[in-house]
Amino acid sequence: MLKLACKYMRYYKSQTFAILASIILTASLLSGISSLLYSSQKSELANKKIMYGDWHYRIWADQEMAGEVQRGDAQESFRLAQIGIKEIRRIVREPYQVAFVSADESYMGMTHRSLTAGRYPQRADEIAADQYTLRNLGILTQPGSRVILYGEEYTLTGIVKGEWSSETDEMEIFVGDAFAGEGKQTCLYLRFEEDGKLYRQLQAFQETYRVSGEWIEANEEVVSLLGGEKPDSIYDIVKFALTDERGNFTYIVLKLQSEYNLALNGMIFLLCLFSLCVIYSIFNISAAKRTSEYGLMQTLGISGARIGGTLVFELWILFLIGYPVGCLVGNGVLNVLYQGMGAVYKEKMSGMEEAQAGEFHIAWQAMAVGFIFLFAAMAVIGFVTIHSMQKESLLQTMAGDTSFVGKSRKIYGKRHRNLANVVVRKFMFSNKKKALGILISLSIGGCVFLCATYMVENLKIHAEMSMKSDDGLGSLCSEYRVSLKSGDLSDTIPREVIDEVRNIPGLAQVYASKYSLGELTIQKNELKWDEYFDEMNQDAYYQQRFGGICVEKEDGTYGIKYDVYGYDEGMMKQLREFVLEGEISLDDLEKGNKIIVVANKDGQGNYDFYGRHPGDTVTVRVPKDLDCAKEVLKFRGEEEYYIEKEFEIAAVVSRALAQEEGFLNAEGWNGCQSLIMTNGQMEEQYGILDYRFIHASASDGADTEAVSASLLDIIGDVPKAVLKDYKAAIETQKNYLGRQQLFFTGVAAILLIISLFHIMNSVNYSILSRRREYGIIRAMGITDSGFYRMVLRTGIGYGLLADLFIFLFYNIVLRRVMDYYMAHVVQFLHFTAKVPAGITAMVMLLNLLLSVTAVMVPARKIIRTSIVSEISM
Amino acid sequence: MNILELRHVEKVYGEHENQVRALDDINIQVKEGEFIAIVGTSGSGKSTLLNLIGGLDAPTGGEIYIRGREISSFKRKELTIFRRRNIGFVFQNYSLMPVLNVYDNVALPIAFDKGRHTRGKYIEELLRELGIWDKRKKYPNELSGGQQQRTAIARALVNKPAILLADEPTGNLDSVTTIEVIGLLKASCRKYNQTILMVTHNEGIAQTCDRIIHIEDGRISRGGSLFPEKGGDDVC
Repeated sequence: MLKLACKYMRYYKSQTFAILASIILTASLLSGISSLLYSSQKSELANKKIMYGDWHYRIWADQEMAGEVQRGDAQESFRLAQIGIKEIRRIVREPYQVAFVSADESYMGMTHRSLTAGRYPQRADEIAADQYTLRNLGILTQPGSRVILYGEEYTLTGIVKGEWSSETDEMEIFVGDAFAGEGKQTCLYLRFEEDGKLYRQLQAFQETYRVSGEWIEANEEVVSLLGGEKPDSIYDIVKFALTDERGNFTYIVLKLQSEYNLALNGMIFLLCLFSLCVIYSIFNISAAKRTSEYGLMQTLGISGARIGGTLVFELWILFLIGYPVGCLVGNGVLNVLYQGMGAVYKEKMSGMEEAQAGEFHIAWQAMAVGFIFLFAAMAVIGFVTIHSMQKESLLQTMAGDTSFVGKSRKIYGKRHRNLANVVVRKFMFSNKKKALGILISLSIGGCVFLCATYMVENLKIHAEMSMKSDDGLGSLCSEYRVSLKSGDLSDTIPREVIDEVRNIPGLAQVYASKYSLGELTIQKNELKWDEYFDEMNQDAYYQQRFGGICVEKEDGTYGIKYDVYGYDEGMMKQLREFVLEGEISLDDLEKGNKIIVVANKDGQGNYDFYGRHPGDTVTVRVPKDLDCAKEVLKFRGEEEYYIEKEFEIAAVVSRALAQEEGFLNAEGWNGCQSLIMTNGQMEEQYGILDYRFIHASASDGADTEAVSASLLDIIGDVPKAVLKDYKAAIETQKNYLGRQQLFFTGVAAILLIISLFHIMNSVNYSILSRRREYGIIRAMGITDSGFYRMVLRTGIGYGLLADLFIFLFYNIVLRRVMDYYMAHVVQFLHFTAKVPAGITAMVMLLNLLLSVTAVMVPARKIIRTSIVSEISM
Repeated sequence: MNILELRHVEKVYGEHENQVRALDDINIQVKEGEFIAIVGTSGSGKSTLLNLIGGLDAPTGGEIYIRGREISSFKRKELTIFRRRNIGFVFQNYSLMPVLNVYDNVALPIAFDKGRHTRGKYIEELLRELGIWDKRKKYPNELSGGQQQRTAIARALVNKPAILLADEPTGNLDSVTTIEVIGLLKASCRKYNQTILMVTHNEGIAQTCDRIIHIEDGRISRGGSLFPEKGGDDVC
C-alpha cells in the first residue's frame, strides 16, 4: 500500500502538490492563529500581573505559620515559586489611614513596587514610600532628606514605584526590619508554579498548613486566568443549563469560557474543522479524477480497505511532511510580525514583566491537538471516499467522475450563442457539494477578517468607554483625580476649590462631581435581583455600615442603597455614549425634574432597571443633612432625617462615569448601583452645594509636575483630600489595549493572507483539474483570447460568488453571532461600530482580484502547453 | 486541385541524445474530396502527422499547405480560426465535453464564431443522419462508444470543414459499429465533398478508402491509389 501510495504521489505531481500546499497552508494557519491567541492570553496575564501583582494568594498568618511556610520542604501536591512577606508594623488612621509596613525583596518584586530612586530603609528611622503617598502626606523632598511624620523624624531613603490598581488607594510607608512600630501583623504573598492548576495547589497548601479559607485572599484578576477555581464538569454545566430555570445557552458559553478557555480551545476546534474542510475539498477533487482507476483496482480484486489504506497512506505521508513545515512557517511568520508589532509597545515599557507582555508564545498543545485531530481525520477521509465509491457499481466507478451529470437535460446550444459561458457555469456548479465546499473555503478568510475587524472596531469603542466608565480606571480617562479619603458625607470639596482648580494653568478638562448616598424604593414584584442583593446583604461591611443594601420595609416595599451623583455638563455629554434607552439633555433634566438611572447588568450581559423605562418615575431619599449620624445612612430613622423626591427617568445608561470610592464601592465591591442628576439638581433638590471628587487632565505640552504640584497646593487645605495620578496607569492600559487591537487585527490579517494563498491553491487546482476539457475546447477552435476570457469568467464567477457568500453569511449569520458574543460573552459596553465600508469593499475587491489572478496563472500555463498533450492527459 | 500539400515535413521531439525523429521528409499531396487512410504500426508517426496537418502541433521543418496557404505563416489566432472553419477533428477517445449533452457538444465549435449563428436545422440534420437525434439530451458518459463517436463526428462536421481528420475513429468500436461509422464518414465525404484523412490500424478499413498512405518509422514507406480516383468503390 505504501509503495502504491508513493507511486501515485510521484505520478500525480500536481495533485500531490495541491494537497501538500493545502496541508502546509492549513497547518500554518492552525498553528499561527493558535500561537497568536495563546500569546494574546499570555500577554493578558502578564498585563494583569503588571497591574495587580505577580502573586496568586495572600494569607494573613501568625509568626509561627509564616516561619513554617518559609521553611517548608518541597511538596508534590503544590509548588511554591515565590513567597513574599509584608508585615504591618503600625497603622495611623487620621486624617486618613496610612500603614507602616516592612516588606522583603520578594514582596517588592511580586507587587512591582521596585525602588525608582534611593534604597530600601534599614534603620528604625528610615522610610520609603511611593509618590502618591508622599505627595498626599505633603512630603515633596528627595531621598536622603529628613522628614517629619506624625511628630517623628525620619530619613526618606527611597521612592517606591506606585501601585497601578485604581481600586487600591492604600497609603503605605515602607520601613526597615529595625522599625519596631506597635506590633507585627504578617501577610504572606504566595506565587505557585503555574504549570499546575492553582485551586489544587491551594487546597494542598491549606491542608498542609491547616489554613482556613477565610484568611486567604486571591488575586482574582490574575488567578481567574490560571484556573484558580475548580471547574464544573461539562456534563454538570450542560445539565444545569438544561434543567435549571436560570440556565440557558449563554450560561454554557460563559462557563466554558471561564472554566475551559473557550476562546482558545473553541478557536482551535474551529481551525481544525476548517483545516479538515480545506484538505478534504482539495483531496476530493483529486480523488474524483482517479475514481476510474480505483474502480479498475477493485475489478482486479484489490479490496476497498486496501485502496482506502493507499489513500490514507498517501494523505499521511503528505501530512507528515506538510504539517511540520506549515507549523514552522505559521509560527515563524507570526513570530516575526508579532515582534514587529510588539516593538511599538515595548519601547514604551521597561522591566522584565513588561517585556513578557510582548513575547510570542508557541501553542505547542494546540499544534499537538491539531496534529492528532487531522491525522485521525485523514483516515476517516480516506475511508469515507472509498465508502462512497463502493456505493456505486464497479462499472459506474470505472466510468470515472460522473458528478457533472446533472438532472438538467436542457439544450443550451439552441438559444445561447455563447456555450463557453455554459461550460464555465457547468464546470463551477455541476457538483453542488464541491462548489459549496470551494465557496466556503474561498469565503472563510474574508468572513473571519470582517468578523475580526468588527470586533476590533467595537473593541476600540469599548476600550474608550471602559476607560471613562467605572469598568476601567473610573477616571473619565483623566490623569488626575482628587477625592476624599473619608467615610463621612460631610467631608466635601468646597466650590471655591473647584474654581481654583479650574484656574490652574495647564489643566484642560476639569470635571467636578457631587455625591450623596441615597435609597431607591421599589415594589416587591420589581425585585428581580434578589440573589445579587442577598449576597451584598451578607457582607459584614454593608450590614454594619448601611444595615444591608436591599432591605424590606414594613410596608412591603424594598429600599435599595444607591450612590447618587451630580455630574457637570461635560460629564453629561460623555454619558450620552452609554445611553441604553431615553435621552440626556441638561435642560430637560433640570426643568423636567428628571434623573438618569444606571441599569443593573447580570452575569450574561443583560441590562435591566427593575422593569422601568424612561418616562417611569423613581422615588429617591437622601439624608437631609450630610453631616448626619452614621445611623442615618441605614435609612431606618425618622422621615425628618431625609429628603424624599420623585423623579421621572430621562434615560437608562449602562454605566456611571466616575465613582465615589468609599461608601457602597468599598471592600472589594465596585460599580455599585447609581443614580445620576446634574450638579444643579443636587443643589436644588437636596441642597448639596459642595463636591466629592474632581477629575482633571493636563493640556497637551503642559508641565505635569507643575500641574500636580498646583493641585496638591490647592487641595492642601481640604481635609482628607488626596490626589491620585493616573498618568502611568492610563499609559499602561492604553498600551495593553493597543496590543489587544493588534492581536485581533493580526489574527485577521494573517488569516486573510493565508486564506488568500488557499484561494490561489484551490482555484488554481480547480482550473488545472479541467486541463483535458480545456484542451478539447482549444482543439475545437477557441482562440487564446477567447480561452482567457472564458477562464476569466470562471475567476470572476468565483470571486463574485465568494463576495456574495461573504456578504450574506457575514450579515445574516456571523454579525448576529458576533453581537451575541460581544453582548453576552465578552460583554462589551456598546457595540455600535460597523465594519468600515472601505474595508468591506477592500476584502471583496481583493477576493475578486485574487480569484481572477488565481485562474489566469494556470490558464497561461495551459495555453503554453500543446493541445495534443492536453487532450491526451 | 490539391487541397492539402505537405513538403518535406519533419517533426523532431526532444533534444540532443534524447532526440526522437517522429516524422522525416514527408511529402503528400491530397486532392479535394479524397478519402485517405493513413496506416502504420504504433509509434510510426500517424497521429503526429494528423496533428501537424490539423495545426494542433507545429512541424520542426518543412511546409504544410492547406488550400494553397502555408499554415505556419498564420499567426496563432489566425491559425485557430482557420482550423475551426476548415478542419474537423475526430479523436479515437472521442474527446467530448463531459459537462455538455450531445446537442451542445455538437454546437460547441459554432459557438466560438461570434458572427455565425447556431445552425439548429443543420445540427438536427446531422444528428438524424448519424442516428443520435434521440440521444441529443444525453451526456457522453450515458452513451455507448459508437454513439459517442457519432457525436464526435457530428461535432467535427458541424462547421462544414473542408478537411476532416480522424485519428483512429473506430479504434474503440466493435466491428458492426466500425462499419457504421466508416459508412457515415464516407457518406459525409460524398455529400459535402469533404476531404478525409483517417488514421487507422485496420488494414481492412483502409482498403475501402481512395488511397492508403503507409508510414513506418516516420517516413512514408509506400503509397498510391489502390482504387479508382474518385468513389471507385461501392461505399463512397
